[in-house]
Amino acid sequence: MNTTIDLLYFARVAELVGKRSEAWPLAADTTGEHLLAELRARYPRLAQAQRLRLAINQEHAAPAARVQAGDEVAIFEPVTGG
Amino acid sequence: MIIVQEADFDGAALARTLREQVGGLAGAIVTFTGHVRDYAPDEPTQTLTLEHYPGMCERELEDIAATARRRWNLAGTVIAHRVGTLHREAQIVFVAAASAHRGDAFRGCEYMIDALKTRAPFWKRETLTSGKQFWVEQRQTDEDRTQSWNNEKTLKETP
Repeated sequence: MNTTIDLLYFARVAELVGKRSEAWPLAADTTGEHLLAELRARYPRLAQAQRLRLAINQEHAAPAARVQAGDEVAIFEPVTGG
Repeated sequence: MIIVQEADFDGAALARTLREQVGGLAGAIVTFTGHVRDYAPDEPTQTLTLEHYPGMCERELEDIAATARRRWNLAGTVIAHRVGTLHREAQIVFVAAASAHRGDAFRGCEYMIDALKTRAPFWKRETLTSGKQFWVEQRQTDEDRTQSWNNEKTLKETP
């Protein structure tokens, strides 16, 4: 039974947390919003990034979206391509 | 056709390939090319570095092109985007839409570049000639433009 999620960090978020990815333990299903709050507590430098967005399994996700063990969750600031 | 690569692209060749794919269906091909510009008139850019989320990037671009083809009568589309470190004036992005008529081609092309700017997972880091480096912030005007497409009724020129 997989009890972690794969976190991916991009651009300034990767700089602020000091890594590009990590396995994150998950005791139970959670929400994007709750996960972001946990990450802000774990990495105080994320206070510099006011607008955090997430993608779950490579799709943009709303804060209320469910996060489950085995998910690939990416954390980033609003995109700036084009 | 979706392309994400470090290498430069040849917009004319991409438009020609699209032209060959759509054959006699397309009376109109609209293309858009985006280049690295100065961050501000008094703050010249030396390089722009583009980071992306491999996998999700291609999926989002495919979905943007599929949405454009659903909303307008498009015979074919191209989205090409570069990643890595690009110099001032280098090409960044190429978008093309082919249609029987110009209205659908113009709107499809504009929709794709607008959607790309707010959905496709790319991030720009500026290095100015002064040596200053920073991540670019998403502009509210880009968000507003995407929102206006969501509010607009689809109007196919040839339903």
